[in-house]
Amino acid sequence: MIISGTQLSVPEFLAATGWEAKPEGLCRGELCVPAPGALNNGVVDVTVAAKKLGMPLVHDAPHNIWALGVATATGRALASAKAFFPSSLIDAMGRTFDFNSLRGRRIIMVAWASW
Amino acid sequence: MVTVALDINPEHAKPWIALAESTHPSLIDTTHITDELFGFINVPMAVWIDENGMLVRPAEAASIERSPLRDQEVPTGLPPRIEKMYREVKSIPDDSEEYRLAILDWARNGAASKYAMSPDEVVAASQPVSSNQSRAAACFALGEHLHRTVGHDAAVPWWREAHALYPENWTYKRQAWTLVTTPEGATENDLMQGPNEVYSGNWLDDVIAAGGGGSYSVRPQLE
Repeated sequence: MIISGTQLSVPEFLAATGWEAKPEGLCRGELCVPAPGALNNGVVDVTVAAKKLGMPLVHDAPHNIWALGVATATGRALASAKAFFPSSLIDAMGRTFDFNSLRGRRIIMVAWASW
Repeated sequence: MVTVALDINPEHAKPWIALAESTHPSLIDTTHITDELFGFINVPMAVWIDENGMLVRPAEAASIERSPLRDQEVPTGLPPRIEKMYREVKSIPDDSEEYRLAILDWARNGAASKYAMSPDEVVAASQPVSSNQSRAAACFALGEHLHRTVGHDAAVPWWREAHALYPENWTYKRQAWTLVTTPEGATENDLMQGPNEVYSGNWLDDVIAAGGGGSYSVRPQLE
């Protein structure tokens, strides 16, 4: 996940990672990982949060771009069974898709590719 | 049903979406974020999500129809690499019938379906992920971002690192390979993804190194 920097607002961190920074820790679904020092005055210190969640933080220095890897706190691809739907998926017309339109329905999400 | 095309260039997915004329949401994931959020490492793979937004099955190979290729004899006279590819593809396990029936069972029975897992089971059944594999996701994301904002050459070093860190993630590999093996002006992405001058890997040699077609997919555990 590309992030704009190492200090993000709570909504920015949530949108980028699916993890919500709360006073009790970094939470996803019912899982909360204690992360003292990660949240200060509504700002998430990504270097602290990433360490607690086991998310590699990678920096492309020439272009000053940061990226986070997935959380390895549980050692599994999924930290929680709570689905987090990204806001970045688009349809064929380039419009972003609102997964709230499918609320209350069973979904099979199938990944495919042109390659 | 929601389909998600793991294509960093949406123009590559659009013709297939148009051809399908589907009535379900047909989406495009240009950054492969769903790899990170749901655990996709190859295609086709699928996750099941219930009415409460809870995953009830982790990412698994998601074929629902047996390919005719499986029942065909390997043609004679093929170039050696093509023949080997043919044999490896034929050796990829086929769980299409069982998976299709599992889907139908869940559609009918919902939470009462024996194929619907508990939250703990879903997490435990999802693929293990190491720090290296996690770093690979960050590297791929950097590559995609640079490919889009700076140019293809800026992406290559990051994609090479992603491939080295997470060789089991075929989406990182095949996405990158096809960008260099598809001839300019082609109307479809190259699916062979053979040896090239940019990456040390290619489809056939990497599949063989991984243990062959039998090791190529994350088989659904339906017992």
